Amino acid sequence: MTNEEFAAIKKLNFNMCMQCGECTGSCPISPKSQLNPRRHMLETAYLVSPLTMRPPLKIYERNEIWDCTTCSTCSYLCPREVKPLDIIIGLRGLLVEQGRIPSTLGDALEGVYKYGNPWGLSRSKRSDWAQDLKVKYVSEGEKADLLYFVGCAASYDSRAQEVARAIVKNFNALDIDFSILGNKETCCGNEIYSLGEKGLFEELVQKNLDLLDRYGVQKIVTTSPHCFHAFKNRYGRELPVKHYTQYFANLIDEGKLKLSGKIEKAVTYQDPCFLGKHNDIYDEPRKIIESIPSVRFVELSRSRKRSVCCEGGGGRMWHDIPGERLAEGRIREALDVGAEIIVVACPFCLLTFDDAIKTTGNEEKIQVKDIMELVAEAL
Amino acid sequence: MDTIVCVKHVPETAEAEIAVDSSGKGIKTEDLVFDINEWDDYAIEEAVLMKEKLGGSVTVITMGPEDADKTLRKCLAKGADKAIRLTDKAFERSDAYATAKILHKAIKDLPFNLILTGTQASDDGYAQVGVILAELLGIPHATMVKKIESKEEFVRVNRELEGGLEQVMEVKLPAMLAVQTGINEPRYVSIMGIRKAREKELKVLGLGDLGLKEEEVGESGSWITMEEMFIPPVEKEAEILTGGPDEIAAKIVETLKARGLV
Ligand SMILES: Cc1cc2nc3c(=O)[nH]c(=O)nc-3n(C[C@H](O)[C@H](O)[C@H](O)COP(=O)(O)OP(=O)(O)OC[C@H]3O[C@@H](n4cnc5c(N)ncnc54)[C@H](O)[C@@H]3O)c2cc1C
Ligand code: SF4
Ligand code: SF4
Repeated sequence: MTNEEFAAIKKLNFNMCMQCGECTGSCPISPKSQLNPRRHMLETAYLVSPLTMRPPLKIYERNEIWDCTTCSTCSYLCPREVKPLDIIIGLRGLLVEQGRIPSTLGDALEGVYKYGNPWGLSRSKRSDWAQDLKVKYVSEGEKADLLYFVGCAASYDSRAQEVARAIVKNFNALDIDFSILGNKETCCGNEIYSLGEKGLFEELVQKNLDLLDRYGVQKIVTTSPHCFHAFKNRYGRELPVKHYTQYFANLIDEGKLKLSGKIEKAVTYQDPCFLGKHNDIYDEPRKIIESIPSVRFVELSRSRKRSVCCEGGGGRMWHDIPGERLAEGRIREALDVGAEIIVVACPFCLLTFDDAIKTTGNEEKIQVKDIMELVAEAL
Repeated sequence: MDTIVCVKHVPETAEAEIAVDSSGKGIKTEDLVFDINEWDDYAIEEAVLMKEKLGGSVTVITMGPEDADKTLRKCLAKGADKAIRLTDKAFERSDAYATAKILHKAIKDLPFNLILTGTQASDDGYAQVGVILAELLGIPHATMVKKIESKEEFVRVNRELEGGLEQVMEVKLPAMLAVQTGINEPRYVSIMGIRKAREKELKVLGLGDLGLKEEEVGESGSWITMEEMFIPPVEKEAEILTGGPDEIAAKIVETLKARGLV
């Protein structure tokens, strides 16, 4: 191990771990992968310990480190507040610096570096989804009071674009003045941070802060909980950011948003990890859903803090592993509680569930929709 | 093993909208993203893998504008020891022959056992520079190399031939090998790594430094001149076949036969 690796590992808070195993027991990925936070904690401890009870850890043989979805279940359940997820991201960082990263993830990082999005799609097509919509683009000299930060998935993926379109439609229906960055928008870096690419993340933070300053942004609303999380917790500066669920729930409180359209369906809700477990936002999405008349809201048997990850985070959109996908299990759970629509508040959940509904052959029985799509229907 | 790798900084065009520039002989590059030529990414990886296994050194060399330093720094971050950029106004519009002449001048007095190039560059697609360079240096070469095994005096290489055939041959060192994609898995280089690579040597040489004359390079030193570049017009003739699968298949066969394509 080099001195730098040693220094990086020493910064991690691993030595509080008492090896109780709560993290591995709760990790949704462990049953189908070698990923085992508890073991990674012990091995990391041995990396910097004078004890040599085990053969030295060869981090680069730990390919399963890339299987983690960064759902954070392990971190919030750990009785010692050790945050094994931070250790996993730290280990990923060591591997990234050695260039040892699965090639599809390397491609995603390169895509962000070159084109500002992990799919490596052309920057000039970033705002194509908004072409026929009424949107204002930020412009020099004019302050953008409210910035709608679209995010990469909702900018480029055709299914997720429908969410961006619904958000724009909802803003316009409520006469809310907002701007978007258009093709100037660049990746928030949440998944880049999660993949341990610190240098690239730093560059993205700088780029985004420059953009926010240049256009005098006063408030930010994001499509994705991932962007929200990055801006709120990983930018090292307090930013006036809200996830759209918070923003629209607030409009309901203020009496500015009244949903009258009827959706006579049984609806359940998937708590996205980056809203729920990472940021304790559970009530706002439910408030919006329940304010739609005639919606029959049913909870999944595992919801809120116990909600199970859709398997789209932490770079897993670009790195598949064998075994049943967690989203497939979630669709079955949704059917078990009699839901006809599984509502999501995250583009990654939307895409993983969209796939899972098809792979489990349940297209006739259940649909996945974003909260903003429901609101657009009910407005 | 001392290896020299020739790398080219090329525009990525797979996703981009391409437009011909005002000269009518090139494409507009302002909005394009440039990066290392894909084949060269495999070549530099192979060189670094050999260095990690056998020791020695890796030098990367490019002919290109200042922006090409990005590609050189990436190679340095991957594990190359030194980088050389050949830049001169006179080098512009060089074809494969003129490019090989320029590279030859820069390489001929450097110590090396092996030169690696990519099989082709994704922008011009000549697939010639490496071979001409080998001829100018008077060393043996092999193209479309998919595997390299180093022995003392020679390398054993697998070449990928048409129709999926593979040829195994031994090439005496020093030699030039043009590497095919898929020979390895190029490593990711982190931004941190690229930043650190700034400390490594990057030399810039021009026409005079290489002892070349203006008429030997660029358009005048080339064998191929670019007449015109244009985007092929969309053909209007399209026929939609209808019917069941069997019917459609029969119609396709008929059409192919009628046009003498099968
Ligand atoms: C990380 C770790 C490693 C350890 N390793 C070892 C080891 O290798 N060897 C060893 O000998 N010891 C080990 N111990 C210690 C050992 O686990 C504890 O001594 C033992 O579990 C103590 O039992 P407890 O009464 O505290 O109950 P706990 O073990 O804390 O409770 C376990 C269960 O007992 C039942 N229970 C407990 N109290 C009651 C009650 N009042 N009424 C009804 N049910 C009750 C409950 O079902 C409860 O869930 C370790 C402890 C830790 C944290
Ligand atoms: S839950 Fe916390 S204390 Fe327990 S093994 Fe995991 S990291 Fe260690
Ligand atoms: S963050 Fe989630 S997937 Fe990753 S180790 Fe923790 S529990 Fe497992």
